[in-house]
Amino acid sequence: MARYLGIDKVFSVLNIIKENGGLRASLYKLYRMDELKLGTLVGTDKYGNKYYQNKRFFYGRNRWVEYAPQYYLDYDGSQVPAEWYGWLHYKTDLPPDQEPFRPKYKWMLDHVENPSGTPGQYMPYSTTTPKIEAWIPPKK
Amino acid sequence: MLRTTLIKALNAAKLSPKHVSVVSRASSDVAKKPEKIEVFIDDQPVLVEPGTTVLQAAALIGIEIPRFCYHERLAVAGNCRMCLVEVEKSPKPVAACAMPVMKGWRIKTESEMTKKAREGVMEFLLVNHPLDCPICDQGGECDLQDQSMAFGSDRSRFTDIDFSGKRAVEDKDIGPLIKTIMTRCIHCTRCIRFASEVAGVDDLGTTGRGSGMEIGTYVQKFFLSELSGNVIDLCPVGALTSKPYSFTARPWEIRKIDSIDVLDAIGSNIVVSTRTGEVMRILPRTNEEINEEWLSDKARFAYDGLKRQRLVTPMLRGSDGELTPVDWETALLSVGKVLRNAGSSVGAIAGGLADAEALVALKDLLNRLGSEDLCTEHTFPMDGSGSDLRSNYLLNNKIAGAEDADFVLLIGTNPRFEAPLLNSRLRKAYVHKELDVALVGPKVDLTYEYDHLGDDPNVISEIASGKHPIAKKLKAAKKPLIILGADILQRPDGGALLAAVQSLAASTTPSEGWKVFNILHKVASQVAALDIGYTPGVDKIRENSPKVLFLLGADEAAIDKSDLPEGCFVIYQGHHGDQGAVIADAILPGAAYTEKQATYVNTEGRAQQTLQAVSPPGQAREDWKIIRALSEVIRVPLPYDNLNEIRCRLHDVAPHLTRYGEAENANYFKQAEELAKTAKSSNLSGSPIDVKIKELKDFYMTDAISRASPTMAKCVQAVLKQKQSKY
Repeated sequence: MARYLGIDKVFSVLNIIKENGGLRASLYKLYRMDELKLGTLVGTDKYGNKYYQNKRFFYGRNRWVEYAPQYYLDYDGSQVPAEWYGWLHYKTDLPPDQEPFRPKYKWMLDHVENPSGTPGQYMPYSTTTPKIEAWIPPKK
Repeated sequence: MLRTTLIKALNAAKLSPKHVSVVSRASSDVAKKPEKIEVFIDDQPVLVEPGTTVLQAAALIGIEIPRFCYHERLAVAGNCRMCLVEVEKSPKPVAACAMPVMKGWRIKTESEMTKKAREGVMEFLLVNHPLDCPICDQGGECDLQDQSMAFGSDRSRFTDIDFSGKRAVEDKDIGPLIKTIMTRCIHCTRCIRFASEVAGVDDLGTTGRGSGMEIGTYVQKFFLSELSGNVIDLCPVGALTSKPYSFTARPWEIRKIDSIDVLDAIGSNIVVSTRTGEVMRILPRTNEEINEEWLSDKARFAYDGLKRQRLVTPMLRGSDGELTPVDWETALLSVGKVLRNAGSSVGAIAGGLADAEALVALKDLLNRLGSEDLCTEHTFPMDGSGSDLRSNYLLNNKIAGAEDADFVLLIGTNPRFEAPLLNSRLRKAYVHKELDVALVGPKVDLTYEYDHLGDDPNVISEIASGKHPIAKKLKAAKKPLIILGADILQRPDGGALLAAVQSLAASTTPSEGWKVFNILHKVASQVAALDIGYTPGVDKIRENSPKVLFLLGADEAAIDKSDLPEGCFVIYQGHHGDQGAVIADAILPGAAYTEKQATYVNTEGRAQQTLQAVSPPGQAREDWKIIRALSEVIRVPLPYDNLNEIRCRLHDVAPHLTRYGEAENANYFKQAEELAKTAKSSNLSGSPIDVKIKELKDFYMTDAISRASPTMAKCVQAVLKQKQSKY
């Protein structure tokens, strides 16, 4: 009956809001990520990013990441570590902690996000000598 | 010493008066115009003077005969054989450059025989010429390339490469300016003739003969001359090329801008070659009245100084005493504030490279602020008429006029290094005509012989009173020249010296229209500055001790901090970080002479303009524009906004400043001389007359641009090295 009247949509919205931690938390999440979704938590990486899955959505939209709260609005795709990248892009269905053959060595470096736009970014520089050499005033 | 005149040789042999009369009779015969003779070149009739060569006769009707060794300004050598042409009824082709035409000759420059002769000569030249045009710096402007295309054979018979190969010659090290690739040499001997005839440095010559012939100095020696760079232009192939320019650009990818050289007061005409916003090289531009087709080494090679030690951003001296870069707005506002606070207590000194536009803008600005303390760095006596009469401070008889002189008295100047192209004129007159030179000053090498009259200034009054033996010669001369160096007028008795020389000049009896009294300046800006009304010398600044001092490219350290009152604010506007920038509290970066369209007046009073070849580096701007902007900031705006308007202002001040290419004559010699007699101190001091530039090593680095040039520094090193060599 409720389905025919379309009231179940209202219920599911209320459910999503409830699952996401109430109205205030849901609005905050909507503000941060422009999206409010319901899904099962598959895992969390060591940076605090949470990975969700909901088979109700179509393929391509049914796995997603919620970036750790410390990133606030400065999140981007390069913050997803390599081991979760595979799961997020459907290269594998097993989350990294359940993958038996994933190599783990001491020498493996920690994940680094893309430094573009930060002081750590790469700046191209000229390797030719300047055409004009400026005068440098003598120090007193 | 090379000296061609027959009469000279006869005089030296002390012949009896009878012989002399024969000679003079012969010369009077020559004076009677001989009949012109008619010859036919490619069936075109042409009337020429007797003694004209076939090549010159052909040039008269616009037929160019190919040549390698022949050059209009050098003696005829006739050894390349490229100019062979057929003359009717002559069994063999004749060398056009050396053969005087005879009456009724029919010369064929396009006949089968001529073409065959040219092809044969070209074939012989190419047998021993390497095929390295792709890596040769002359490529694209090479006479051999062009002429082998135009007159050479279209196929090769050269097979010798399989047997003995091409002739190879070891390269010579003849200094830091000229690169030699002697294998490319075709033995035209232009460089040898230039060195011995024009430069007067008999260092180059040939050794060996046949295929073993080599051009060189025989012993390891640098070809050190102030005109050495010209052999690069003269070389028809790539045997002598420019070392600083080597492998930097090709002639078809450079832009050529006609300009004026400002590194001496001669104002040589130059072509600035630029590529990718950079000056690649500087070549001479023919101007018969100034530099003919030569250029001094400083003008030709100091261009790399334009790329170093440049002021590219405005600077202000901070509270820590260091100069720090700032933007234009900050610089102009703080300089403007200082100028406003100073009121009329402002002084300015213009340096040797300042252009007339900047000079007049600065003068207008300071006059509006109520100051008249505008000085030039190089001084000139203001006793008598001073700079009021132009004839006092010009090379009145013009540079080209020096060629016609029959007696030259040089006083306190070394024209070889102060104005190399004037000296080459004097040498030309010495070699080809009857010029006698006498010099008062230190004994220097002028590349020709002269009577050294000692360095005592009292010699001048002795000559004037007729006591000195040289006085007779001066009186007898129809075209005497007295050239006074501007440098010695800086002496405390400069006024008296000027007066003495003026009266000496007035005592001569020159022919009509000939001007005896000449001043030779050392810097490009001086004449323009004096024309505009600057006070020569910085004494005025010392006396008035202004609160603000504006240096317009003044880098000769004529004034230093100890001459200025405590807390005097020094503004330096210029293009190089040199002595002026070091003492400055604010630096406004200006443009160098290749970076602006500006007016310069040379020592003969000829206004010429430079054209902009490249843009000023960084935030540097054209000089008059900076002063104009500054005037806006201090709310006394100058009434000109573009080049035309400021040139109108120049025209108002002195109309000749905008008559480009023309040398404005100066007169009132009589009045100048009489006013000079009223000078305060008319006693010459006994201190000997001296010149600053005595030797070649002093010649290379004389201003902010050449001091910043690594090439010029290398030249100085080469001269010092040569001195230690036993040759």
